[in-house]
Amino acid sequence: MLKRVIAGLAVGFSLVLSAQAADAPSEIKIGTLYASSGRYASISMPVHSALKLWVEQKNAEGGVYVKAFDKKIPIKLVAYDDQSNTATAATLYNQLITQDKVDLLVADSGSVLTAPAVTIARDHKMFLFDQTGTGASFFSKDNPYIALMADPVSTVWPKPIADFLIHDGPGLGIKKVALLYSTNEFTGTQANAVRDFLKNAPNSPIQIVYDQGVPTETTNYTVIINNIRAAQPDAVIHLGYAPNDIAFLRNVQDVGVKFKMLFCIYPGLETELLEKNVGAKGLQHVFTYVPPQELEYPVNFGMKMSDFREAWNKKYHDGKIEFGFNSVAGYTTALVIEKTLSVASSLDQLELRRAVFSLSGNLKTLDGTFALDETGGQIGELTPLGQLELDDHGHLKFVTVYPHDVATGKPVYPRP
Amino acid sequence: MTLSYPLIAGLLFGLYFSLVGIGLNLVFGVMRIVNLAHGDFLMLGAFVAFGVYTVMGLDPLVGVLIAFVLFWIAGLLLYWLLVPRLQRARDPEMLSFILFFGFSQVIEAITIIIFGTSERSIPSRELAASLGQLWARLFGGEADSGPFVILGESFPASWVIAAAVSIIAIGLVYLYLYRTRLGTLTRAVMSRRDEAVATGINVDRVSAAAFGIGLGLAAVAGVFAPFMFGSFTPAFGVDATVTAFVVVVLGSLGNPLGTALGGIVYGVCYMLVQTYLSSWADLLPYVLLIAILLLRPSGLLGRRARIA
Repeated sequence: MLKRVIAGLAVGFSLVLSAQAADAPSEIKIGTLYASSGRYASISMPVHSALKLWVEQKNAEGGVYVKAFDKKIPIKLVAYDDQSNTATAATLYNQLITQDKVDLLVADSGSVLTAPAVTIARDHKMFLFDQTGTGASFFSKDNPYIALMADPVSTVWPKPIADFLIHDGPGLGIKKVALLYSTNEFTGTQANAVRDFLKNAPNSPIQIVYDQGVPTETTNYTVIINNIRAAQPDAVIHLGYAPNDIAFLRNVQDVGVKFKMLFCIYPGLETELLEKNVGAKGLQHVFTYVPPQELEYPVNFGMKMSDFREAWNKKYHDGKIEFGFNSVAGYTTALVIEKTLSVASSLDQLELRRAVFSLSGNLKTLDGTFALDETGGQIGELTPLGQLELDDHGHLKFVTVYPHDVATGKPVYPRP
Repeated sequence: MTLSYPLIAGLLFGLYFSLVGIGLNLVFGVMRIVNLAHGDFLMLGAFVAFGVYTVMGLDPLVGVLIAFVLFWIAGLLLYWLLVPRLQRARDPEMLSFILFFGFSQVIEAITIIIFGTSERSIPSRELAASLGQLWARLFGGEADSGPFVILGESFPASWVIAAAVSIIAIGLVYLYLYRTRLGTLTRAVMSRRDEAVATGINVDRVSAAAFGIGLGLAAVAGVFAPFMFGSFTPAFGVDATVTAFVVVVLGSLGNPLGTALGGIVYGVCYMLVQTYLSSWADLLPYVLLIAILLLRPSGLLGRRARIA
């Protein structure tokens, strides 16, 4: 009798195993978009290239471990070019879901090209791996189909600069601030956050004397710089994408204006690109976010920064795509996906969400600690405030100035 | 805020935009062809300046001559390859839209494959640095690449140089059209193509010359793009085409002075909007386009209704 039971169990077990093996897909399809041309190409291509690098690495190892099937499965990256066009992006996101039937949906880089994906993913009940779309409006308690992988949400991002102005500003003589921003989700939200932080501070020591938005396509700031100068601010905060920062910083140099303090986003995020276009001298004393590649976070999953940089330089040695914040963001997204697949018990979209949220606070990558709030907004991976200075050899280096517990030096104010 | 700053900035910026538009004006006026790849030739001109500076180590201003000659020749070749076939079509104007749109996409895609998508620029101090050094050697003092002061206000020196080159280029186009035999024939073709054919004018030869000059001028404008727009990418052409089109429509067809005026009006309006309604600055080209088509369809210096 016992032999029959054991034999029956063995047959049953083998049937289950064979059924499971039959159910396992031959590949995991990850659908994403990238912009090979247009305004957002310079932030999209590094993110996408990092994702491709990870796919190649994993496929060379036989794929990624997928817990749902208890085996390694190769990855197929289904990627389309949206050419920086939101209408094209909307069509292609739909195509990835309905035609290609991808297992995982990954947004293009940046808030502008992520925006169409948010609604489409939600409508199709598809969980969106949002790479760098930080717009605050993307995240709400009633939308379980999104989580931000590699940047803090825009409302959190500018807190160090606002705190620095509020706490350290008056001591340095900073009382009047000019705020200039590009009118898109990414920088518009940051501008709102800065404004709120400064206005809601106790006794509000900082006054905003200039507050203007300009179209994201703006490439010429000479007149605006003159208007800001007329407002006589002690500090200027410019929030724009990389092309905006390049044009703004070049125009500041060209008209010979020296603001006492100047903050821009991209000198920190894409330092190589900015240095190439603005020059080291033009970036000297500029305040910016200190990117993860300067901080060398301890990791418990994936490559550490130096290894990733080496792998990147090996694969993309022609220099057409710069290594920087966005390449790190793409690789971070890939790591979250890999870890998610290793803990999710199925490829059901809400199970994927549960798996992603289970990583919150536990996953430490080269981008810092991955941590989500209840809406899926990233609240880890914070970017301290730093200032770019020239070292003895004329090379740019980061000096972290705020928060004080991570500071590596004192701010240079006013700009000499 | 003083009004003088945006007005002077608008004048300088506008003169540059006249240069951006004048090549398109010439091609449209002579051939009734809408060259939607105009901005892409401008972008290629920017790459010429970039190459002149980074590869040859020369003053980007040298790129003006190189870009003009290169693209004038390219224009002649392209004309004989594309335009006569286009003119034989039933609706060449409409077909030109499609053909040059496709051509624009091809240029952008190939440029991306070769150069990548990243922004590129040239340090502002390098523009006309050789002229500054020559000046310093001849008249003493130091070569200065700092801002240029006009009426007590500082402007980028590169803007002043771009505006000066634009004035020279517009003047040369004017001389070409009104003081040379080929120019007279060009104006005849602009005025009535069918009558020009009937009187025995070699329309293809005239048109090829105009097409070459148009592309050459676009490339010359491109040489200054890294200085006027901060940086450039292969995707930069589309915006430049739209702006050039507005400048051309704003002025008047076939009249280089009209394009100069169109550019200045556009530049001054742009700077005033940036000063007082900065978030709306992007709408300006389209608002101006609608306004001019409703109020004065022949353009500011036009005398009669536009045929095309």
